Amino acid sequence: MNRMSSQQVPQSLRDILADVLEISPEEVTPELGVGTIDNWDSFRHLQAILAIEGEYGVQFDPSRIAELTTVSLIQAELVAKGAKL
Amino acid sequence: MQNDTERQELRRSIKEAAASQDAGAAVNHARILLTSSSKPVDVMFCASAFTSLSDALTSQLHAKQLKTYVVRSVTVEPILPFLTTEAVLSNYVLNLNVGGYGSYVDELLNPQSPLAKFNPNLVFILLDLEDVAGRLPNLCADGIGAAVDAEIEESVTRIAQLLRNFRSTNSARILFQGCVIPDYSSLGDVGEANLPHSLTNAVYLLNHKLAAVCRTISDCVFFNVDQLAARYGRANWRDDRMFLASRLSVSSAFFGAYAGGLVRSFSSLFRPPRKVLCTDLDNTLWGGVLGEEGPEGIATGSAFPGNCYLEYQRYLKQLSSRGILLAIVSKNNDADVREAFQLRAADLELSLDNFVATKISWNEKATSIRELAEELSLGLDSFVFVDDNPVECEAIRQQLPEVAVIAASVEEPWKLVELLSSQPFFDAAVVTDDDVNRLNEYKAQAQRAELANSAGNRDEFLASLEIVCTFLSALDAPLARSVQLLAKTNQFNLTTRRHSTAEVEEFAAAVGGQAVAVRVRDRFGDAGVVGLALARTKGDTCSIDSLLLSCRVIGRGIETALLAHLGANALRAGATRLVGEFIPTKKNAPCADFYHDHGFVKDVSANESSPDSVFYQLDLTTAAPKSPRWLTLEGNESNEFSASAAVAS
Repeated sequence: MNRMSSQQVPQSLRDILADVLEISPEEVTPELGVGTIDNWDSFRHLQAILAIEGEYGVQFDPSRIAELTTVSLIQAELVAKGAKL
Repeated sequence: MQNDTERQELRRSIKEAAASQDAGAAVNHARILLTSSSKPVDVMFCASAFTSLSDALTSQLHAKQLKTYVVRSVTVEPILPFLTTEAVLSNYVLNLNVGGYGSYVDELLNPQSPLAKFNPNLVFILLDLEDVAGRLPNLCADGIGAAVDAEIEESVTRIAQLLRNFRSTNSARILFQGCVIPDYSSLGDVGEANLPHSLTNAVYLLNHKLAAVCRTISDCVFFNVDQLAARYGRANWRDDRMFLASRLSVSSAFFGAYAGGLVRSFSSLFRPPRKVLCTDLDNTLWGGVLGEEGPEGIATGSAFPGNCYLEYQRYLKQLSSRGILLAIVSKNNDADVREAFQLRAADLELSLDNFVATKISWNEKATSIRELAEELSLGLDSFVFVDDNPVECEAIRQQLPEVAVIAASVEEPWKLVELLSSQPFFDAAVVTDDDVNRLNEYKAQAQRAELANSAGNRDEFLASLEIVCTFLSALDAPLARSVQLLAKTNQFNLTTRRHSTAEVEEFAAAVGGQAVAVRVRDRFGDAGVVGLALARTKGDTCSIDSLLLSCRVIGRGIETALLAHLGANALRAGATRLVGEFIPTKKNAPCADFYHDHGFVKDVSANESSPDSVFYQLDLTTAAPKSPRWLTLEGNESNEFSASAAVAS
């Protein structure tokens, strides 16, 4: 099930989150988010957001950052920003 | 930029190295990966691998473990992986602990604070301008505000008090970060530049004064983050969006540069600078090949491209003026080189006199550098080698891995100075008079070697040197020099304890304590402060904690004089027994028999608290060491005074 759903996350995004959260890319599923694993705390969240911004050349609105709490929400925001995933 | 296959390959190698606990391979692959990848996740990936390798880094690569506490008023967490990685690439393993945002005052002042309990080796103090001098932007708004100077004074006094109070209870090394000059203000660029109390001028002055405060605190380095911000562009250094939303004071694009700056800065608190720069001649010190183009054909002087080489020569001369020794290591005919230096003197910034030694021959360069190391009594890890020939560079890297190698670019000679200054080899936060005089001292050493060949027996030779030893308190040596000796001396160092300034002060101040420095001069020159001993008398026993001597004066009886001086002071302080300690290291074999040779008896009973130590003892009442008769001794009075003061108290 997890394996199936990790494939729904674009590889580039999966790899970034895997590096930041120190987990394997297969564990990065759309529902993964802040608090669903120990590693994803508020500081890792900031790290992840900064790394994603750097990778895709986008900038998130700071007031939205705290709301982007799952992989799928981040992915949707990236799509809305026109990032090439 | 490597392609993604290479990148993935390197990441796989790092992962494998981490899994098999191969620290060397992990660091090498990481270095290659990070040189070409600008992806922040690659830095985090390396940080994660390094964290799992922290023991291996220490045991295999002798990386220095530093318990590091970050006192801060800004967000640093996203920067920590960058700090971890940069530190490992400079051979440090940081065990990082971060304090609270608003608690920096309490952490620095309260002896029960988490900082104090963490017992760090190193403390970063990273405060924002808001916290250091928060009223400055408003006070500077009209550019002529009379209250600006007073505000700066008050801020500096407050920081000085914080640092002094912290230092009085804690001996951790300190890195204090200055403030970044804001890139814009309501005065605009014209007002900022022209008005006397503009914010730009005020923060510049503030940094200047904070640096001066740091100089008065022992083991404290000022980190001028503004210099770094200016280098990369103040307009981009801070991302206002992330500063205002998350108090992140550095834009994520510069996390690596910032972490690198922090590491390079604190490094000066733990590592002495290298001492010798060996330069190649052809296509390095000058353009072209002397053997082919002749002395008139080589490029040096005011016209391009000769001026690129002139810039390099100037840089070397500047290094030399603070005591970095220059040497020539070149494959050439000696006579040709001498002729070139003579004929082209007007176009060269350096003359042969600026070099402590020259190795101009057709020998292997590794052999030449080894000879130099021996002649100058310096370890190979004190050497830097600059050469344009990639084969020569690689040969040195392989045969003399301790030597730092810089590959000069033949095509882009204008890059040589930048290449050199981007390396931390010669970084020093403190320069002493002894550093400045070093070239003369080493030249004198060569003259002494010559005299040694002509003088008949050893005693006569030593007497002919007319050596004078002056004993003085390590506090007056000056103290920075004493601590520098503790940090740098490897060969003649009986215990190799790298004490901090605060610890030396403790020896000097303690009842029955001795912190004695010895200054040496002879008819050829003043070698400056070259030796140090720390000891403590308790009851009938005086224990020698540290005794060390710069290797350039070994073998002249100065070590014996220092021991005799300690012994005499100890007797006066009521001791009857002198206890020596030897801790063997890779480098200190030359002094392994020091205590034995001075009549000490090995104490065979094992000491559980220091299993690496060998202890020796000597009965001071019957066998007190005596200073050799060829030495003239000076400066006993002040030490006698402190010793008798110890008896009285």
